[in-house]
Amino acid sequence: MRDNTLKYVLVLPAVLVVFATAIWPLMESARLSATVGRLNRPGSLDQYIGLENYTWAFFEEPSFWNSVWVTGVYTLLTVGLTTLLALGLALLLAPGGRLRSGVQTLLILPFAMSPALIGVSFRFMFNPEFGLFDAFFGVVMPPLADVSWLADPTLAFAVCVMADVWGWIPFLTLVLIGGLASIPQDTIEAAQVDGASGWRVFRDITLPQLGPVLAVVIILKSIFSLKTFDQIFMLTNGGPGTATQTLSHYIYFNGMKYGQIGYAASVAWLMVIPMILLTYLYAKYVFRKN
Amino acid sequence: MAEVILKNLSKRWGDFVGVDNQSLDIHDKEFLVLLGPSGCGKTTTMRMIAGLEEPTSGEIWIGERQVNDDLPKDRDVAMVFQNYGLYPHMTIFDNIAYPLKVRGTPKAEIRPRVERAAAQVELTQFLDRKPKALSGGQRQRVALARAIVRTPKVFLMDEPLSNLDAKLRVTMRAELKHLSRELKVTTVYVTHDQIEAMTLADRVAVMKHGIIQQLGTPDEIYNDPANLFVAGFIGSPAMNLVRGRIEGGQFLTEDGVKLSPIASEDRSEVVLGVRADDINVHEAGEGDIDAPIYAFENTGEASFLTVEWGDQRVIARGDRHLRKDQDDVVGLSLNPDHLYLFDPNTEKRIRL
Ligand SMILES: Nc1ncnc2c1ncn2[C@@H]1O[C@H](COP(=O)(O)OP(=O)(O)OP(=O)(O)O)[C@@H](O)[C@H]1O
Ligand SMILES: [Mg+2]
Repeated sequence: MRDNTLKYVLVLPAVLVVFATAIWPLMESARLSATVGRLNRPGSLDQYIGLENYTWAFFEEPSFWNSVWVTGVYTLLTVGLTTLLALGLALLLAPGGRLRSGVQTLLILPFAMSPALIGVSFRFMFNPEFGLFDAFFGVVMPPLADVSWLADPTLAFAVCVMADVWGWIPFLTLVLIGGLASIPQDTIEAAQVDGASGWRVFRDITLPQLGPVLAVVIILKSIFSLKTFDQIFMLTNGGPGTATQTLSHYIYFNGMKYGQIGYAASVAWLMVIPMILLTYLYAKYVFRKN
Repeated sequence: MAEVILKNLSKRWGDFVGVDNQSLDIHDKEFLVLLGPSGCGKTTTMRMIAGLEEPTSGEIWIGERQVNDDLPKDRDVAMVFQNYGLYPHMTIFDNIAYPLKVRGTPKAEIRPRVERAAAQVELTQFLDRKPKALSGGQRQRVALARAIVRTPKVFLMDEPLSNLDAKLRVTMRAELKHLSRELKVTTVYVTHDQIEAMTLADRVAVMKHGIIQQLGTPDEIYNDPANLFVAGFIGSPAMNLVRGRIEGGQFLTEDGVKLSPIASEDRSEVVLGVRADDINVHEAGEGDIDAPIYAFENTGEASFLTVEWGDQRVIARGDRHLRKDQDDVVGLSLNPDHLYLFDPNTEKRIRL
């Protein structure tokens, strides 16, 4: 066989797998989003109604907009907090930073936990009867002892953000430590001799050189935040009410619980839009020329 | 405007000694050159003065102030790094302007000063580029310009000309010499290049294994070496060092070749030092001793003859018009006023 043909034959299995597990479901969901698509109504999966599902989401469903809002705020908060905290930790843990060694290993632990598990453990920790936080606040700030965290919309949302930030900090920190380590030490020393204070060295020398890595981190984390599902599912299940119902959770609920698979598919496709935008940005930074 | 004083300065990493109990007074406005082989602690000494490396023990004074606990930014020094340390994300202009900006120089003053510094190192046409788009020698000049753009208390220059081509190096050398005289700033300058050391220095400190072997003017270092190391390190080619003995006012090599009368008592073990310049080359039979040529080199300015005395080789410098061939025999005579004796065991100079 000619090398030319061989190379296509060799990638064919991979292409087939990707087609079967990613491309085909994607196309199928696009098709479903244009149907009535009720799981409990036979034939409705082939009953085409054009863009009606989409207009329904936009104009008839306040709960869709609620989820857009929840997802937006959730993404902004988690991305912002995780990045800031991870950057701070990375600065402390990077070579030449103030902490180091053993702490780095410890840091990776939360990342070794599955998001669903994080969700469960946070739910237990905030349990008003026997939760760790409850006990903690009972001692430190007695007025907060009886607060039922997960029953209050704002507090439940805060707990979701907290759990996510906690789970993601290690990964982002490690990536940023790598980024910091690749900044030539002599540029930092040169700036110190040139008269820059610690803060100016960070602002003028470290941050600009860390820029591309930081951009990748922010984009990646945005993608992960946008699609958060398992953690929310285990922690609050979208509640109380719909206070923590992110778009993924909304899609799951509509599709699996209410059987409105066509409608769920259309909302999923609406989510594809910001995802594609972020993926494009990501690719742009990662595959930057030079 | 400031003297730099090192008092019993040491730097150790574990068992490894980088700089060993070094004391050094660098006078106000002095141009001091640190000279020594690779790894002898030159950069480490500089970095301690700049505050980038914390001494294991000892004191550092700049002017009236002990600066051990001062941050680099508060020491008011400017440094040219051996590996440049340019800011890759800034243009050349911003690189050179950075020390001015960060020290709050008025905006209007920055541009003319940067342009002047860039002109001094012949970089004017590159100001808009990023460091990545420059050659090694050009980057080195940016590092130099960034140091000379302001007038600090002390200049620290770590091999600032090492990557320039021969011609530019000569120009820059003159530029630096002029600049240091004009600005009257105390300068510590590291180099491997002897010519640079000789031409620029008010005083040279020759270092080996973290210890200063000799501190003196270029003349003293060249004409009055304190020990075998300095004698063998300074000069190009380095001083010839011949092992032998002294008997009845005559120096004999190890294999008994009678070389030269010398005014010294008898010694059974001694090293004779003589520079290539102080060995006169004659036709065979006309000098004190005849020897076969091992290699003949012609540099254009001079000719260098490697000859064999017994099984030791020495280099003599001949006239630039001299033409000889390998295995030709020449006559040699040593200039009796410029012979040095060293004790091979202590490596110290034996004064005649
Ligand atoms: N951070 C460090 N840890 C351990 N050893 C070090 C460290 N920095 C330098 N050294 C050692 O200290 C010695 C002196 O180093 P230094 O950089 O001062 O040499 P140098 O005289 O500037 O040499 P060169 O002419 O090659 O630049 C070297 O043997 C080097 O290996
Ligand atoms: Mg060095």
